[in-house]
Amino acid sequence: MPSLKIWGQDEALGASAPKAEGGAEAASASVAAPSEETLARGWFRSLEEYQGDRGLGARVDVQPVVPGEPIPDSLSRRSFMQLLGGGLGVAGLQACFKPPPGEILPYGKQPANLLPGEPQHYATGLEIDGIVSPLLVTCFDGRPIKVEGNPEHPENLGSTGVFEQAVLEQLYDPTRVQSVTEQGQIRSDESFRAELSKALKQQEATQGAGLRVLVTPTTSPLLAKRRAQVLQRFPKAKLVEYAPLELGFEAGTQLAFGRRLTPSYSLDKADVVVALDADFLWTVPYGQRAAREFAARRVPQGARPMNRLYAAEANLSITGMMADHRLRARSSEIGSVALGVLHAVTAQRPLAGLSVPAVDLGSHARFVTAMANDLLKAGGKSLVLVGPRQPAEVQAVGHLINLALGNLGETVSFRPVANQLETERSALAGAAAGAPTADATQGLRELVQDIDQKKVELLVVAAPDPVHSCPSDLNLGGKLGAVAFSAYLAPYHDETAKQAKWIIPAAHAFEHWGDGIAADGSHLVFQPLLAPLFGGRSEAELLGLLAHDATPPHELIYGAWHQHIAPDQKEFDGVWGELVRRGFVGTETQASNPSAPGDSASGALAKAAQRKGASEGLELNLYQSYQVHDGRYARNGWLLELPDPVTKLTWTNAALVSPKTAEKLALETGDIVELTLRNRTIRLPAYVLPGHADGAVSVALGFGQRSPLPRSDYPSILPTFAVNAADVTDEDIAGADAYALRSSAAPWFDDGLKLVKTSDHRKLALSQELWSMEGRELAIEVPASALGTRQELAGEKATALEQPSYYNPVEYRGFKWAMAIDLARCTGCSACVVACQSENNTPIVGEEQVKRGREMHWLRLDRYFTGDSLDDPGAITQPVACEHCENAPCEYVCPVNATVHSDEGLNEMVYNRCVGTRYCSNNCPYHVRRFNYLNYSYGNKSETEKMIFNPDVTVRSRGVMEKCTYCVQRIERGRISARVQGRELKDGDIKTACQTACPTQAITFGTLSDPQSAISKLREDPRSYALLKELNTRPRTTHLVRIKNKNPELA
Amino acid sequence: MTPLFPRWSNNAFRVVLGLLVLVPTALVTLGMLWVRSPFRTEQNQSVVQPVQFDHRHHVEDVGIDCRYCHQTVEKGASAGIPPASLCMNCHSQVWNKSDKLEPVRAAYFSDTPIPWNRVHRLPDFVYFNHSIHIAKGVGCEVCHGRVDEMPEMAQAEPLTMEFCLDCHRDPNPKLRPKDQITSMAWQAPEDPRLYGDKLAAEYNVHARTSCTTCHR
Repeated sequence: MPSLKIWGQDEALGASAPKAEGGAEAASASVAAPSEETLARGWFRSLEEYQGDRGLGARVDVQPVVPGEPIPDSLSRRSFMQLLGGGLGVAGLQACFKPPPGEILPYGKQPANLLPGEPQHYATGLEIDGIVSPLLVTCFDGRPIKVEGNPEHPENLGSTGVFEQAVLEQLYDPTRVQSVTEQGQIRSDESFRAELSKALKQQEATQGAGLRVLVTPTTSPLLAKRRAQVLQRFPKAKLVEYAPLELGFEAGTQLAFGRRLTPSYSLDKADVVVALDADFLWTVPYGQRAAREFAARRVPQGARPMNRLYAAEANLSITGMMADHRLRARSSEIGSVALGVLHAVTAQRPLAGLSVPAVDLGSHARFVTAMANDLLKAGGKSLVLVGPRQPAEVQAVGHLINLALGNLGETVSFRPVANQLETERSALAGAAAGAPTADATQGLRELVQDIDQKKVELLVVAAPDPVHSCPSDLNLGGKLGAVAFSAYLAPYHDETAKQAKWIIPAAHAFEHWGDGIAADGSHLVFQPLLAPLFGGRSEAELLGLLAHDATPPHELIYGAWHQHIAPDQKEFDGVWGELVRRGFVGTETQASNPSAPGDSASGALAKAAQRKGASEGLELNLYQSYQVHDGRYARNGWLLELPDPVTKLTWTNAALVSPKTAEKLALETGDIVELTLRNRTIRLPAYVLPGHADGAVSVALGFGQRSPLPRSDYPSILPTFAVNAADVTDEDIAGADAYALRSSAAPWFDDGLKLVKTSDHRKLALSQELWSMEGRELAIEVPASALGTRQELAGEKATALEQPSYYNPVEYRGFKWAMAIDLARCTGCSACVVACQSENNTPIVGEEQVKRGREMHWLRLDRYFTGDSLDDPGAITQPVACEHCENAPCEYVCPVNATVHSDEGLNEMVYNRCVGTRYCSNNCPYHVRRFNYLNYSYGNKSETEKMIFNPDVTVRSRGVMEKCTYCVQRIERGRISARVQGRELKDGDIKTACQTACPTQAITFGTLSDPQSAISKLREDPRSYALLKELNTRPRTTHLVRIKNKNPELA
Repeated sequence: MTPLFPRWSNNAFRVVLGLLVLVPTALVTLGMLWVRSPFRTEQNQSVVQPVQFDHRHHVEDVGIDCRYCHQTVEKGASAGIPPASLCMNCHSQVWNKSDKLEPVRAAYFSDTPIPWNRVHRLPDFVYFNHSIHIAKGVGCEVCHGRVDEMPEMAQAEPLTMEFCLDCHRDPNPKLRPKDQITSMAWQAPEDPRLYGDKLAAEYNVHARTSCTTCHR
């Protein structure tokens, strides 16, 4: 492997030039010669590609072009010129013909208070794996087109994570199940209900002994009530609550404190945060509040110092990228790291009745000691988080550390797990019934055993695709077919749907009533936004059929809330209306913090101390995907094309390995490898990830399902190729199914993995191949000690904004729109990217086009590795969108004046003038302009797919350039409504989509004309700098440097 | 040596040269003129509607204000075409058995739209907002003409971008008091420009000419 030196900030910021370090260094740091393939092809997408086999970059397999011969697999030059000439001739005539006559179709009977064509906002919510997000959805004429957080709810204050934005795409997906089918034949709903009631009548005779219901765990009181009703009608039936990703913390608290508790974190109070395999900056399962509160402490404010983050993990996560200090440890070693910390902490602050075994930490000892000392210094202002991937005993160690440090009641509070199901069952039965739900995989295991023993006669599945996500040793898929009557509430024709006898279309989350309990204990009501498009049914309705209760779910919710909020009030309609409008009602939750370790704590410590002997295989590390979560979003084009925050992979998962492991196994990014564990094998490409732990392979769960877009190369000249979900074949599989390697005994990480390199190679669709900043000051990060005035901060070079210019100075008299992106707060979660795509009708392009660099995201997150070490680099994320330069290089090169500068500082893009020269994109130094090479948005779109477009934004056709517009449609809408109502626009009235979506509030937008606005203050902040300032573009978007708070003991 | 080209070819060459300059110029000029002509802009061409709605009767004879039917003109981007239920407010009693109103009754009772044919049609890449124009004193008549004299609706103005820009660059002469927005025969009491300047100051009129005002 060549000695690759990643340029760090030290070199860039005016310190001694690298040339001074000697000839050898200079030689390796200079650009190597281009590879054979690059020379033959003549173009390259990144420096890595240019140098071909740089050891870590992707090797490109493209057929070399031989002069004189036709270009393989593509149109010949001659035909191209012919088509071009003919096309030009025809295209010019378009303006001459009259537009087709249009119709206006008003209502027959218009609902009252309706403004056709104006947006309406409805409060609703979404629950993902127990995390409830309060939402506010924008609808036009009854069509939801944009999801935001509920700005009144303290959980997210209007922001969302990635999934809340992207589920909207699935609402209109025509590949959703649209009709009731029985073993492939379309049947009517009546026939299903008739058959179901027959089967249920049979079950009544045995009190439901043969009935099994497979559902997901939920906080929803409505579903708990329905499930309780089912169990009341069939007392011997079994309800299995199964979530593929068990992201709960109850098992750990049970071991540590003897009670099942739910933690809630106050990260704003923590000066030191330790994340042991805990990716808490990701919104599931930690929620958006954790990220926001953490990020707020990421900047020193007055007397309050900045916090410090330690992370220990195997795979590089977004939390790891943010960490001040990071320890690479295999997932199986995290237990000993936690024990080491507990041992060091209890040496100073012992826990009564608990003796902590000592552990040999090996190379991790120095890190752990420094970390523990820091924790001890912080006392009650620290927080140790152990992620849900770790076994319960390791999580218990984490809780005990918090107990010893005195963090309980300060940075972390516990409350009893609200077992809704038991509450409802006791309400119905009048007595406490049954034990709390056991470990979920245990439930699934029993179900499979029951099916084997032919005890299951009627199985109703309301969990999303359990066959795909079930651990491989349980093999639910093979057994499901044996059940006599199985019904599956199917969102898609997925693997479970193939096995189930009856398939019922599932209603999307936005198509049915629901409720939930948020992390802070508030009760939310989820109102539907439109009637089911494809005749879908909700779980509450399906369970209602089982329980023989036809009460509509929303009446149940109404009744429950009436009971809960105002039981004495007769007239509840008005209160109900206000509740639904607001979306939630707050509830006081009682914290119940333990004060001492539980009885099983010592046992847990002993178990955690058992170190596994060194095994000969690699460690398999399964993790929840940032894109498809547990696989339920595997058909969501927006999410599949969203670049993974760390690897920048799209449309697939990969086997992530560290550079050292890759060198040992002679792997390059893109090599197809076979991973084998317990006699099961999957094939997928490898990806070399700096910062990954040695001796481990990480694979994201949830892939290996049918992809919604064709993967074969498009005929690249035809103007209306179909990017259509209907053109999918079974060969279009995205990634590899990592669930095949997952066993119920070790659901997250396992030893003994074998990796075999095959001779195949595949080019990966990476949105960013570049790893380093190559000496340029792009994403600036400084140590906390360097904070000072702007001049001191990074030298005049980086932060001075003004240079002499030969343009006439422009006087901006009205608004001066500007944006500031705080790198200290940005975690890289990519919620802003999906929000921008949703708001601005940005198309997805498919894997082949991404490989050509044609992804259309207006806002991208650049991820750079920093530092000297390839094994242990730092990483920083930088959101980049159109900078709206005052001296924009794109404006003066447009031959048709399609991109102009507005009187308020916006760089405007006028789609109807653009002829597709692409000179503007060529000239843009930030590469933020996106060109519609093909008709990505048009083509054979089904009627429902067209409904997702935001009517306020033009849908761009082929041949038109587009880019971030500072959400000009929101600016105009805000301005118009303010002027019509005769009021002044206040700071914060107009928010861009990315700004609203960001969970950490890293993006600020506003006008510089108001010196009191947030953006004006941030502009003056010493941390503010302009990207590529030396080009004198004078961007309106500035970034704020990220600050590293390093521990002097470890630096 | 005999000349290669006969003498007449000199003139031929000059003629071709002239045509080479004139023909493209003429084509382009005629094209540009045609696009701005009523042939293309459909100005002053009445459009046949499924129901023979007579604006002249309803506005001039009956005296209905524009906003009674076009209800969202002050609140939203679209002025709004009235639903059949609004027509039935009167026509459940007035002319309630007329054959001409059969489509309206049918639409009302079956809760389906009446398929009106669009008269004022802007391209899809133009985002026009009625409410801001009403709020700033632009009368209905300015763009839609004397609707109270139209038995069949027609587009009174060309609605080309030039038409919009002419006003946006100099809106003051076209302004009128906000309570006269829907008036059909209003005249400024003094020089329209002077009067408009006063109104512009009072209503805080700043007509924007940046591209994204309309093209987003």
